[in-house]
Amino acid sequence: MNVIEIKDLVKIYNSSEVQVKAVNGITVNFEEGEFTAVVGPSGSGKTTFLNMLGGLDRPTSGSVKIGGTNVWDLSSRKLIDFRMNNIGFVFQSYNLIPVLTAGENVEFIMHLQGRPKKEREERTKEMLEAMGIGDRIKSRPAKLSGGQQQRVAVARALASKPEFILADEPTANLDSHSTTELLELMSQMNKKYNTTFIFATHDQRVMDKARRIITIEDGKILSDEKFER
Amino acid sequence: MSTYFIIAWRNLWRNSRRTLITSASIFFGVFFAIFMSSLQRGSFENMVDNMVRFYSGYIQIQESDFNQHRSLNNSLQTYQTFQQEIENHPLITQSSQRIESFALAGSDENSFPAMLFGIQPEKEEAISGVSKWLSEGSFIKSGSKDLLIGKVLAKNLKIAVNDSIVLIGQGYHGVSSAGIYRISGILDFPLPDLSKQLIYMDLQNAQEFFSMPGLITSQVIMVEKPEQVAQVIRDLTPKLGAEMKIYAWDELQPELVSLIDGKTASGKVVKLLLFMVIGFGVWATIIMLMHERKRELGVMIAVGFQKTRIMIMIIIESAFIGLIGILIGIGISYPFIWYLFNNPIHVTGEMAETYKSMGFEPILKFGINPDIFLSPAFTILIIFAVLSIYEIWYVARLKTVTALKA
Ligand SMILES: Nc1ncnc2c1ncn2[C@@H]1O[C@H](COP(=O)(O)OP(=O)(O)O)[C@@H](O)[C@H]1O
Ligand SMILES: [Mg+2]
Repeated sequence: MNVIEIKDLVKIYNSSEVQVKAVNGITVNFEEGEFTAVVGPSGSGKTTFLNMLGGLDRPTSGSVKIGGTNVWDLSSRKLIDFRMNNIGFVFQSYNLIPVLTAGENVEFIMHLQGRPKKEREERTKEMLEAMGIGDRIKSRPAKLSGGQQQRVAVARALASKPEFILADEPTANLDSHSTTELLELMSQMNKKYNTTFIFATHDQRVMDKARRIITIEDGKILSDEKFER
Repeated sequence: MSTYFIIAWRNLWRNSRRTLITSASIFFGVFFAIFMSSLQRGSFENMVDNMVRFYSGYIQIQESDFNQHRSLNNSLQTYQTFQQEIENHPLITQSSQRIESFALAGSDENSFPAMLFGIQPEKEEAISGVSKWLSEGSFIKSGSKDLLIGKVLAKNLKIAVNDSIVLIGQGYHGVSSAGIYRISGILDFPLPDLSKQLIYMDLQNAQEFFSMPGLITSQVIMVEKPEQVAQVIRDLTPKLGAEMKIYAWDELQPELVSLIDGKTASGKVVKLLLFMVIGFGVWATIIMLMHERKRELGVMIAVGFQKTRIMIMIIIESAFIGLIGILIGIGISYPFIWYLFNNPIHVTGEMAETYKSMGFEPILKFGINPDIFLSPAFTILIIFAVLSIYEIWYVARLKTVTALKA
């Protein structure tokens, strides 16, 4: 079943006389449980694509349908709530609210969702433990390593029970050991909860784990391949 | 809601030094404004109090032309029935009749112009407590033929207690008046103008001197609180004789009122400038704070924080900064002002002379009315209300993607 249906997506930036076609007509679908990498050289349009797909950046034209909802038809307030309930985000770095502990960072989103306290607490613990950092629940982000911070970000994304998780270069700031660990954990989560993961990356180790690789260049899909792993 | 407070509170201490510096600037502004207002208020109240007690009273009844032409020809008959009205009015605490005029005071050595007040000694004493300024000799009693004289005037005339002076003046309807009087006491007035000019004599004595038996130039009426003046005037007005006119103290002291108004206005300008400087300082802090957190705000909006929630959080945070400043400002200034209120500063030495030469009592009194403390607090709140508009505007126009790239 298709979770995401994208049609003729275009994003044109008009910055001082030059027109940049960051995304230039992408049509693609994503299914439940995918573990997909969107790859391509720097400047090829990966971030722009993910941001439009995630309801963060309004497309110039084209549509993004998530679970049947045309996200870019939503009002900005509704869109924020939609993101909260349907999409998990993991950015390259500084994902967490610095003044909240790891546990609070995970719990907060469920709080926004209006989930009961007991459920929030249990799920926070479960997610942090699943990501191998149950013991750091009370630590503030500044006290965590880059890899641990990314794991908290993944735990936070999973905790809200989203349709899918978008991760834009989640490993770009990590050393190779942390990268391997994080990827292994995300792959486990993908299998355990059947949560869709979509990465933007040019990290070979991410590509090696991905079961689908969409290559884009100059804002267009160059290839779309699936692998059995 | 409490979670917003937690985040706002913790954010506040992320850069604790900046928070403290900002709060300290607010504290300073609040403290300075309170100190300034309190000193101003105290000195105004003291000035009014002095002026009211020594000169005008809170209320005065005069012959209708006396205020324009301060001539004895415009003096007033005292009616027994009207005196009864004054006696019986519940808000009137004291009342005293006077003759206010001028005379030339002469001794063997010198002569000087003097303000000659015919007073009812016991009643006047009850109003102004004038005997506390008595530095030598004794106070006068009703029916006495003796005089009380300001210290500086006595010095200028080179006379002492029990010496005699000659008074020469113009009486009722141009009758020339002259007399020789013994000095009963010397008054060391705090107000230099009085000390240099004032002579008190018993009312009856003055009536004889000026050849105006049964007449007075004014009747002074005192009330407990300045706020009661209007009420008393309303009550007495219908009872006045046709030739009488009633005045509130501020009508009789227009120079004092405009002096106070002018100083209040310039004080307001100083405070306005002060609060503007502080306001811009706080604004700069808030701009920095928002700018630093731009990316973080972007992440928050991305993961599901409504912008209104973020606005509330930031407003709470900046309100904390303001409240800390206000509370410490009031917390420290209150006991400080309370002490000064109860222990006014007596200016001594050269400063005291400067004060005296400008016609002021050499004392710094402080006011402690609630509005002195509340109005700077309120001003700060307005500043933060204005700044929260900036905060709302900043968050409202924040583009998630741009913020994420910050
Ligand atoms: N806000 C923007 N304004 C103008 N051009 C932009 C903006 N964001 C991205 N671009 C341009 O769009 C293109 C794609 O950028 P991006 O999506 O960030 O690529 P990638 O993530 O693959 O490196 C680049 O040429 C970039 O310079
Ligand atoms: Mg990118």
